[in-house]
Amino acid sequence: MFFANKQKKIETQIAQYNEQISTCLDKFRQAIGQYCKNPDRDAIKSRFDDVHKSESLADDIRRDIEVMMYSKSLFPESRGDILGLLEAMDKVPNQTEAVVHMIWNQRISIPKELSSEVLGLVEVCCRCVEALLEAAGKLFTNFTNATVAVGKIDELESEADRVEAAIIEKIFSGQMDSIDKILLRDMVKSISAISDRAENAGDRIRITVAKRSV
Amino acid sequence: MLPLTGGLYLGWALGANDAANVFGTAVASRIITFRKAGILCSVSIILGAMLQGTAGIHTLSGLTEQTARTLIIVSVSAAFTVTLMTMKSLPISTSQAIVGAIAGLGLATDNMHWAGLIKVIACWIATPIGAMFFSCIIYKLLSVLIKYIPMSILTRDKILWGGLLVVGTYGSYALGANNVANATGIFSGQFAGVSDGQLALFGGIAIAIGVLTYSKRIMMTVGSGIMPLDAFTAFTAVASMAVTVHIFAVIGVPVSTSQAIVGSIIGIGLIRGTHAIKFGVLRNIMIGWLLTPVISLILAAAGYAIL
Repeated sequence: MFFANKQKKIETQIAQYNEQISTCLDKFRQAIGQYCKNPDRDAIKSRFDDVHKSESLADDIRRDIEVMMYSKSLFPESRGDILGLLEAMDKVPNQTEAVVHMIWNQRISIPKELSSEVLGLVEVCCRCVEALLEAAGKLFTNFTNATVAVGKIDELESEADRVEAAIIEKIFSGQMDSIDKILLRDMVKSISAISDRAENAGDRIRITVAKRSV
Repeated sequence: MLPLTGGLYLGWALGANDAANVFGTAVASRIITFRKAGILCSVSIILGAMLQGTAGIHTLSGLTEQTARTLIIVSVSAAFTVTLMTMKSLPISTSQAIVGAIAGLGLATDNMHWAGLIKVIACWIATPIGAMFFSCIIYKLLSVLIKYIPMSILTRDKILWGGLLVVGTYGSYALGANNVANATGIFSGQFAGVSDGQLALFGGIAIAIGVLTYSKRIMMTVGSGIMPLDAFTAFTAVASMAVTVHIFAVIGVPVSTSQAIVGSIIGIGLIRGTHAIKFGVLRNIMIGWLLTPVISLILAAAGYAIL
């Protein structure tokens, strides 16, 4: 009974963490969508702040889980695996925040002719993170099936790489200033890095399942 | 009653060496602390010795005739052999040590009951093979359950944690029931007013003291030395060892928990792939198994000649 309560607490907290990452992702999607439509700095400020707040909340939940994991008597192996996964997952909301900071601080404007491609890239990256959240959720409901969702992460990460390469090619084939091209390229790479972070966390899940495979 | 101190020493050595076979995998994989494992193991050993330990005592007491002098020689020779191997961190067989010593004395005095000895040796050979067989069956059955029943990784941990406690307790019970004869079997019928039940209790307590005071190092060798074990494989290994040893306890032949657990781990290694098995460690363990009866046989024969 004691063990069951502890397990329930950990699983609830991890579900909350996943939900918070999902919220952060939605805020990020909305912020970039809004910015592509209307690149007005004043109008977009609150959207970017929302991303930052969501990321901070996710951090708070993660820290709570880490403290709880050390105070609860889990198998050392499982504790290490779960903490490693949380650390890897934490890099996803961090990266969304890094993208909005980059856009804000470097005053990057997204040309109209590139906005649909950039939004497409954002969408692929967000779907990739959603697949990660699905896989992470499976670890705590039906862990042997988690690798199916991890397969989806890999596919979406590859798609993100393809979209990223196409956008960068388009940027450098245009007539913009070189400095604008470089800024845009860095921004696109930074957006694409969200899917790379998701893939890294997915690899953690794959290893966690493989260690328990019989 | 002085010869019984030899039994106490042997029981202590047995506990120090053989508790590793029951809780070594769980302790080495940090699933259970050594302190908790030691207490649980000790209590279960005493219970096993008291409730089902007398069958093995009858078998060992029938191998050869004993006097007060030979009792001391046998028990001290066996205990010394086990201590020597324990200091080398080798999980050897206490059954082999005591039977080797009895055989040495039997040869020296030309008073050996060969039929009983052959039965015991046959059971030694059957022990690792039987444990290997059971570990393959248990592994396959459990892997099907884990594959097809949806569960959280934490639920899996919970089940294995509880399972390890249960099989560890059962294994300790089987260890007490089967191996108490190694500690005090030779004293059966030697002292007026001391029943086999009392000998079983005495031996059980001696084994428990060995567990609590000197078993940690061997636990680490058994738990992580042959191949890396996780909670699932640890559970499988201990469960198959416990079943095997308990069967022999019921038959009334003291066998080696060391050989049973090593057989179990090899069985798992065969299913998972032999690349995981550390053959160097396995070779040393095998050498220990071969040397144990030989050393105790020589010590007992030499002890008889000198004393």
